[in-house]
Amino acid sequence: MKNSKENINKKMKKCLLFSLLILWTCCSVLTTQAMQLSDSCTYVIKGSILDAETKKPVPFVTVTIKNSQRGILADENGKFLLDGLCEGEYTLLCSSVGYKQVTHHHDPHHDEPVIYMASAASQLESVVVEGEEIVGDMRSLSLDKIDRSQLATKTTGSLASVVGDIQGVTFTSVGNNVQLPVIHGLYGNRILIINNGVKHGFQNWGVDHGPEIDIASADNISVLKGAAGVRFGPEALGGAVLVNGNPLKLSNEMYGGVASGYQTNGRGYHTNVHLGAGHEKFSYHVGANYQRIGDRHTPDYSLTNTGMEERSANVGFRYHLPQWDFKVYYSYVNQDLGLLRASVAESGDLFARSLSSERPLIIRDFSYDINEPRQDATHHLVNLAVDWHSDMGDFVLLLSKQINQRQEFDVRRNADLPIIDLDLNTTDTRLEWYHPEFGGFEGTIGLQYFSQNNDNNPGTGTTPFIPNYNTHRVSAFIIESIEKSSNTYEFGLRLDHEFNSVRGRETNQAIFRNDYSFTNITASLGLVRELAPNWLLRTNLGSAWRTPNMAELYSFGQHGFRTQFGLWRYNTNENGELRTDMVLTEDDDVAEPEKGYKWINELTHQKNGHSLTLTAYTHFIDNYIFDRPVAVIGTIRGPMPVFIYDQVDALFAGADLTYSRRFTQKVKGTFGASYLWSQDIENDQPLINQPPVNFNAELSWETPNFLGLETSRIKFQASYTLQQFQAPRTVTPEQLISGEVDITPESEIFDFKDAPEGYFLGHVQWQWGLGRLGGQVEVRNMFNTRYRDYLNQMRYFADELGRNFLFTINYKF
Amino acid sequence: MRINVLQNVKKYGLYTLLLSATLLSSCGDDEAPEPENEVEVITDVTLIFTNTADAADVVTARANDPDGEGVQELQILDEITLTSGVTYTLTYTITNALDPNDPEDIGAEILGEDDEHQFFFSFTTDAFTNPTGGGNIGATGDINYNDMDENSNPVGLNTTWTTGAAQMDAFFRVRLQHQPGVKTATTGSGDGDTDFDLNFVLNIE
Repeated sequence: MKNSKENINKKMKKCLLFSLLILWTCCSVLTTQAMQLSDSCTYVIKGSILDAETKKPVPFVTVTIKNSQRGILADENGKFLLDGLCEGEYTLLCSSVGYKQVTHHHDPHHDEPVIYMASAASQLESVVVEGEEIVGDMRSLSLDKIDRSQLATKTTGSLASVVGDIQGVTFTSVGNNVQLPVIHGLYGNRILIINNGVKHGFQNWGVDHGPEIDIASADNISVLKGAAGVRFGPEALGGAVLVNGNPLKLSNEMYGGVASGYQTNGRGYHTNVHLGAGHEKFSYHVGANYQRIGDRHTPDYSLTNTGMEERSANVGFRYHLPQWDFKVYYSYVNQDLGLLRASVAESGDLFARSLSSERPLIIRDFSYDINEPRQDATHHLVNLAVDWHSDMGDFVLLLSKQINQRQEFDVRRNADLPIIDLDLNTTDTRLEWYHPEFGGFEGTIGLQYFSQNNDNNPGTGTTPFIPNYNTHRVSAFIIESIEKSSNTYEFGLRLDHEFNSVRGRETNQAIFRNDYSFTNITASLGLVRELAPNWLLRTNLGSAWRTPNMAELYSFGQHGFRTQFGLWRYNTNENGELRTDMVLTEDDDVAEPEKGYKWINELTHQKNGHSLTLTAYTHFIDNYIFDRPVAVIGTIRGPMPVFIYDQVDALFAGADLTYSRRFTQKVKGTFGASYLWSQDIENDQPLINQPPVNFNAELSWETPNFLGLETSRIKFQASYTLQQFQAPRTVTPEQLISGEVDITPESEIFDFKDAPEGYFLGHVQWQWGLGRLGGQVEVRNMFNTRYRDYLNQMRYFADELGRNFLFTINYKF
Repeated sequence: MRINVLQNVKKYGLYTLLLSATLLSSCGDDEAPEPENEVEVITDVTLIFTNTADAADVVTARANDPDGEGVQELQILDEITLTSGVTYTLTYTITNALDPNDPEDIGAEILGEDDEHQFFFSFTTDAFTNPTGGGNIGATGDINYNDMDENSNPVGLNTTWTTGAAQMDAFFRVRLQHQPGVKTATTGSGDGDTDFDLNFVLNIE
């Protein structure tokens, strides 16, 4: 056993070494290309300067070229022009009284820079944006961005909980440590998580695994709320979350910071450091983070075994030549996550009682210890991006490799053995060509090759939950847009061909094998229209076909507090009863690709301190795959609720609203609401685990010079979440065990417990800054509300967290 | 010369990158997972009643789980039919036969961990003259345990039963509890985890 593991390791190392060698060779070939000097000195740099907060022009800003005598004063509309320059790269310095100075490295391959100056008293930073950043799939898709200053206040949260603050986005979880983003009711394999430009290669099944991404390493996060599959692949059927690391800016003086914090709930603490600098030709950034939290608690009791420990580190390096840009990024994340001990019962009676009990049946004193059930995961990402600004447009090549090692330990007789022990290797290669304008069309053409290799490590003492598999996918896409007066039209098309080879074990340890392939087409049509000054409409019609993934097809057996069976691992016998005694294949016609069609419209209005965003969407998914409870069975490890994957035709419709108003320069209010209606239209019944209606409001008040501090802001947040009125019927474990209710895979969808009641939450946050020092005091759930979250699987067993005081302090240098 | 190099880089640079990308990702295998010894499954339980006066008089009753970790549980295949007024010893064969070529004797494992296991019983009141009553599942009735663990607590791999008057469609329930670190002289049928809990039809003729 050990030998084979060593072999795999050796093989992996060999592979990695070889790949690195190749990379190095091609990099060195490319870097030998010399600069081409231009003779003409008629080059012009134009740009504009806006206030970072009000987005209004800042007049009379001084713009100088570093290490030269050239400089100019921008006009009253914030425009500046530097002419008579020789074509090349320049470092611009922009300064104005009352604003934070900004340095910008400009090269001729980028559009006119837009410089956002932040006032000295605000907590924002001055930034430069060159052209419209193509962060997403298409401009007609709804995009929300969380920037660095917003992220800095949330470094201890999970990725999902951070993006969950966006309207229409929430998160689904298994306890406090495992959380996944939900966009307009869709999650898991329908939301793609893009980490530094590449699809995060992790065990993304159901809701049971959170992405191994440490947000302390992120510079900003963007969320796309439509079918973003054209650029990123069919898994973006429901949207995409893009996590971007440090931008590695050139001509940036050495910077760095140390931050540390403590939270009372779970007695958690964290520390992170980062350091970076940008020179004329290269820049770098390094960062590291450590976090530990013990057992959390609700208003009434301790949540035993809900602690976590996380270590992460990242390094980025950029090398710049006049027409070339090379970026290498490496990140490491190690997580040890506890799951609520009381979620696993030891007898049928106890399981039934644990669902009906007010309090979890196992409550112990506070501890930092992480025992079973727990998940231990390590994730490595290496990523190389090469950007070539040629005469024929921009070429971007992305090469990445990810290694994801996951071990899960459950409450069982052999608790010291992992019950799941998987190594997942992912490589992703993308070549994109941003072609020059051609007949009015601007766009991108791309090719992608994606492969994944999943291996079970021996020694779990149980039939593998997920088989070994190899996936190879070859894709091509095109996205084009054309501007006509105040309209921008766009379209996108993508073709994927996916080949899968699967090897697994049946319970009698007989080997089963299957090779199958799918071809999917993804298309998108969009329009961005300026309806009137300050009114913008985006509309996008997108389709995406998604292949059922390995877990949806093949999952088998115990996983956390439940037992789960994939579409090809269960069947119904002649009496309509659930059976799991054979492995199906594509010939059995039980698993069809999921075909989604989403129409999303977004209306935005901005004027005089008012800002309104209204998003409305409908989403029809043919063969929507979801998991649902089907039984309670006795096992030697105790009784287990059984879940199966199922497919129905589903319809989703909903709307998100955000309205914000700046009452004065210092006081700003925001109101938001999200509504989602969803239905299994095949059987005319509600779906399970859909986000309930939510309202939220926020009021922030800037009070500089308060207590002698330079910046200070206090923010109140309130939210009300309704009870999910579209929850399926309830069938209790008692009714299932006693046989009072007879359930087959054909039965109407049910849940083990009623949807939790609606709840009101209040939070307050105070942020301050004094020179290089900054900090924050926050109270989450300040009214110590008892509540359960419908999208948390642990709602069957326990309440959510009680009041939590969080303190952070940071120092920048 | 220099221009040539440049042009070549422009021309072939992308191909080189694409090629290297392909090589980068061509590290696969097609091995199946190693076979796992399913350590926590009981597929076959047989109750063996042996007449203490006549070793050739053996009554057996079986239960079988056809799919191991799958959804089906142990299913009772036989009724227990005993003779009135006879004393029997009850023993078991308990196996994991998921791999028919290499069945595993769970009974031996239970014996090895007898300080963590105990059998409990429940039956139609006064079906037996010894023990009397209705058993010790959720009750405190007597059972004739013939075996003890190292802490002198009963195990139940071997028990003695004397049948009472003839009756049909009575019941006989056997429950094996796993009580690691829990088992004491006073622990009962509700302590620890249930390994199996089988309810047979009992006929006494």
